[in-house]
Amino acid sequence: MAKQITKPQKQLSFVVDLNKCIGCQTCTVACKKLWTNQRGEEPIYWRNVETRPGKGYPRNWENEGGGFNAAGEVQRGRMPTAGDYGVPFEFDYEARLFEGVPGRVRPRPAASGSGFASWAPNFDEDQGEGAYPNNYYFYLPRHCNHCSKPACLEACPNDAIYKRATDGVVLVDQTKCKAARNCVQACPYDKTYFNTATQKASKCIGCYPRIEKGVATACVAQCVGRAMHVGFMEDTASSVHKLVKVWKVGLPLYGERGTEPNMFYIPPVLGPAIEDAQGNLRTDKKIPLEYLVKLFGNDVPRVMKVLNDERGKRLMSQPSELMDIMIGRRSADMMLNPLT
Amino acid sequence: MSKTNRRDLLRLGGAAYLGTLFSGPFALKALAQAPAASPQMQHDYAGWEQLYRDKWSWDTKTRGAHLINCTGACPHWVYTKNGIVVREEASKDMPSLTGVPEYNPRGCNKGACGTDYLYGPHRVKYPLIRTGARGEGKWRRASWDEALGIIADKMLDTIRDHAVDCISVYTPVPAVAPVSFSAGHRFAHLIGAHTHTFFDWYGDHPTGQTQTCGVQGDTAEAADWFNAKLILLWGSSPAVTRIPDAHFINEAALNGSKIVSIAPDYNATTIKADTWIHPKPGTDTALALGMAHVLIRDKLVDVANVKEQTDLPYLVRTDTKKFLREADLVQGGSAAKFYVWDVKTKKPVLAKGCWGEEPPGGRPAAQPAYLGRNTLTFPDGTIALGDLDPALDGSFKATLKDGKSVDVKPVYALYAERILRDYTPKKVSEITGVAEKAIVDLAKAYGTTKPAMIISGGGTNHWYWSDIEIRAFHLLSSLTGNEGRNGGGVNHYIGQWKPVAVPGVLALSFPQGAARHRFTQTTIWTYVHADAYDAMETVGIDTRKYLRASLDQRMMPLYPREGRDPKVFIVYRGNFLNQAKGQKYVLQNLWPKLDLIVNLNLRMDSTALYSDIVLPAAHWYEKLDLQMTEEHTFVHMTEPAIPPMFESKHDWDVFALLAKKMQDRAIERGMSRVFDEQFNVSRDFSTLYAQQTDNGKLESAAQAAQFILDNAPATKGITLDMIRERPQRFKANWTSPIREGVPYTPFQFYTESKKPWPTLTGRQQFYIDHDWFIEMGVELPVYKAPVDADNFPLRFNTPHSRHAIHSTFKDNVLMLRLQRGGPLLEMPPGEAKARGLRDNDWAEVWNEHGRMICRVKIHNREPEGRVTMCHTPELYMDLIEGSTQSVCPIRINPTSLVGNYGHLLFRPNYYGPGGTQRDARVQVRRYTGVIPS
Repeated sequence: MAKQITKPQKQLSFVVDLNKCIGCQTCTVACKKLWTNQRGEEPIYWRNVETRPGKGYPRNWENEGGGFNAAGEVQRGRMPTAGDYGVPFEFDYEARLFEGVPGRVRPRPAASGSGFASWAPNFDEDQGEGAYPNNYYFYLPRHCNHCSKPACLEACPNDAIYKRATDGVVLVDQTKCKAARNCVQACPYDKTYFNTATQKASKCIGCYPRIEKGVATACVAQCVGRAMHVGFMEDTASSVHKLVKVWKVGLPLYGERGTEPNMFYIPPVLGPAIEDAQGNLRTDKKIPLEYLVKLFGNDVPRVMKVLNDERGKRLMSQPSELMDIMIGRRSADMMLNPLT
Repeated sequence: MSKTNRRDLLRLGGAAYLGTLFSGPFALKALAQAPAASPQMQHDYAGWEQLYRDKWSWDTKTRGAHLINCTGACPHWVYTKNGIVVREEASKDMPSLTGVPEYNPRGCNKGACGTDYLYGPHRVKYPLIRTGARGEGKWRRASWDEALGIIADKMLDTIRDHAVDCISVYTPVPAVAPVSFSAGHRFAHLIGAHTHTFFDWYGDHPTGQTQTCGVQGDTAEAADWFNAKLILLWGSSPAVTRIPDAHFINEAALNGSKIVSIAPDYNATTIKADTWIHPKPGTDTALALGMAHVLIRDKLVDVANVKEQTDLPYLVRTDTKKFLREADLVQGGSAAKFYVWDVKTKKPVLAKGCWGEEPPGGRPAAQPAYLGRNTLTFPDGTIALGDLDPALDGSFKATLKDGKSVDVKPVYALYAERILRDYTPKKVSEITGVAEKAIVDLAKAYGTTKPAMIISGGGTNHWYWSDIEIRAFHLLSSLTGNEGRNGGGVNHYIGQWKPVAVPGVLALSFPQGAARHRFTQTTIWTYVHADAYDAMETVGIDTRKYLRASLDQRMMPLYPREGRDPKVFIVYRGNFLNQAKGQKYVLQNLWPKLDLIVNLNLRMDSTALYSDIVLPAAHWYEKLDLQMTEEHTFVHMTEPAIPPMFESKHDWDVFALLAKKMQDRAIERGMSRVFDEQFNVSRDFSTLYAQQTDNGKLESAAQAAQFILDNAPATKGITLDMIRERPQRFKANWTSPIREGVPYTPFQFYTESKKPWPTLTGRQQFYIDHDWFIEMGVELPVYKAPVDADNFPLRFNTPHSRHAIHSTFKDNVLMLRLQRGGPLLEMPPGEAKARGLRDNDWAEVWNEHGRMICRVKIHNREPEGRVTMCHTPELYMDLIEGSTQSVCPIRINPTSLVGNYGHLLFRPNYYGPGGTQRDARVQVRRYTGVIPS
């Protein structure tokens, strides 16, 4: 039975411009240092940036199901295994540096045979697909989509998950969670984690303490690629509104999974073309359109055309409101107040 | 809420204010922007939400910076709660420039976890004295008094038994922490010890720019990238190595600029470029000259610029290959004045502004450390041509003073002939592997798009012949009139080399004047004292012959003098051992020569680990210092969020204490006065502390910081309080004025005000008629293939890493979790397959310089024939043996040893041999030995 969710007064929404994300992981660290830096939270990355194509984090999350089916029923996906997260490396520096223990400081879990850890949040960094020189890759930042139809909320047997009426942020009430972990299985993005230390579900909180003060989320406020926008979709002056509702260039990731995400992606339109064996450039971009369609849906060709047309205007030194929004000369125009 | 209001509120600090901010729904509602929710919309979960509100709270926020060898210079706020530094966040309050995206936020993945070194397991807490072998990690805790006593006594012993120049103090990179930097330099200066260059040794020095422009180096600030209509990223991947500024590239692209990335690997910046050109590693100069070929062939040359701004019209004697000098034609004429051929009068005419010419009123006393000579006192318009029309083409006759006639040609004629003959797109395509059409298209785009900018990086700056590469870049920029223009020019972003307020740093470091200071050139120092093997005889270059000549003629400095060995080595703010090329030789030959190695450090890095005494330094968030960079034009600061923990101290305080201890021991030992022959000065050790602190006027780091600000034109009038309020823009800069709201780009003093360039010829100088340049065949920038002195099959590429700043953060746990837990050798699939290597296998990497055993990551962005490893993991990190520097030799190019040719002379970090590790070749095979658990 679908649970009743009151439509929030305002919906906190994000736009990630994949043309600007440089894969630097500053957002990942900013989030981790602020929110998930306690014992037991090592594998928990509310925010991560993964190389695409790639297996992502947790490994193969996109193939593990979850979300809603055509009939609107929430789906129980496969629970990621410990190996899909990988055991976070630990290092005993003190022994080597101060206590005279010989050898090198090895990451633990220890290497066995020639291999070592099974997986880590950025294990296949910059690898992508294709053979040199026509290989390709790009970066995909991810955090909770604060969906309008959250599968985690729907799946929770203890009603511990709710969507805030004031800002649409989806939260797990840490006092109500009873460790059922249905949310982990239901989220088609594997963005709900399980904290083994507290025995509670753990997920991105949309930086609500900051949002309540009108301050941008930690990931967006510290995005040095200046690749992210955050605001309320109902605010027609916000860049998220302009990009998603007016220019319609923001697309949800795997939108067909039915959760109605509030994080939108501007697909990567910048990038070189493929080349033939003689080194001559062809016209097709290296990133195959089909791959982008797989991630962001059938609207990708339309969006790519808009982006190409608008950038084309700037190439001809004509004005483009869309390019100006994406450039975002002032951070304050891309987000709530960036200052803390 | 307005910014001012918020800042004011936060400045209140204290419990009263925090109570209202963080303790309850009422205050929250009052502060929230959103209108109050209607009661039925309120959810009933609000109670538990306080958990995370409490987490995002703090008692104080203070200015923070990361005082490491990084060009970012990113202003941060540091948040402290209950006496614990909880986190940091980019301050986002850098002022905006006009029409370009702002610098905020400015930081990176490393800066966002700077607290880790504050509380992490690497922290040096107390003075430590080695009890095991060097590198073993066995220590006993000592008091400051004991440790400083041992150091002072050993220095006095060294002065007594050897010479004061056997004491060596190494600390690099003044721009990131000028007070800390100056502390040890001032101490060394006062006792007569030698200190080191670093910019060259680290491979960051744009040697070719010094050769061409007579400056140590200068670049546009990063915001100016946005003004370029075409950007050539040449061996530069800002998305990895200039993370806080990379956005300007993508924003320029969205703004309609075309981006071309020239790099062998498909790197993280290239993935967003319009065009990717991937020449074979080390062939970039050929590509540049192929572009020059097209520019000349298709008449895309800005002739007026070339005639006025460059030496290309200067006449060269075809008999001697030397410039035609005034001394050739006129009795008693200058050897530093040169001729052009005036098309109108058909005569050789002396060019204005040459080295031999003095400004009205004579040579200025003040000589900026970063310029070949001070031409700033020449009147505006000096090198303007007026009615003169110099010939670029043709062959002429000049009559020498003895009546003999010689053939002379403009440099341009000589050079264009070679470029048109040797660098056709076809020939360049054969050298570089780049398709002919791609070369021509690139050249035409560069020649027709204004402004066009070249951004170069480590990929083109770490080669034996990197100097030529930058000369060729400048050639392209000059031929197209892009120099000195916003959005144009050649911008080498490598190295943190720009303490913009350098006169202040020098005044603090060298109270008796830099001329009375012993500077050693570190590449030479390491090469000689480590007796490093360079294998250069295999390619017919006798490095030692040139080196001997350079040292004998005092063109380059080496300390200690007269064949003495260094005895005491004090290292701080730099991981000398870990970064040393020829590392095997350093450990085998140099380290044993040192009676005492002292390291002042906040963490136990490789150099500390291999030291005898380690002193605990304050962390960046526990101390006050300034910070500057070439990447933006603002000075900012760090200040103590908490007092230094454990027994750590500010570097400024440590050297004051050391001065005091040295003074006390010198008095006790009857060594109060020590005569220094080289400078003919009697040093008074009995007042060392007063000298170090200028009689108390420089007792605190804050006083020292303000002293720097007060003593440099760039920062005069700026106070610490102003910087604490907000980063402050420089008031002046090196080679262009600072204009309100306009991004800084260099060389406008020459291109706009038309002062002479600080070179021998007074122009951008492409022809260098020094004997050694002629002997090496590089009097003109021509393509020289990479040096294949190592007879091994794979080029060894050692770029910077996304997850570290050199060795700093290499061992950071969060960073390692965002990789694979340890250093990796990236290998193209074909090379791995040929060696039976699979992803994650251990592999042995070796050449004649050393050996390393590392894990492999198979990477399809790498070209065949090359392997890549991000440089300098710490010697205690997860390799089985060695490190990147085990297989990287020290190679000294003779042209960088020149010190007797106008603007080519030694000044610390201005000119001298650098790092040339990218020519190195290695072999790789599967490691079959024991894998330690």
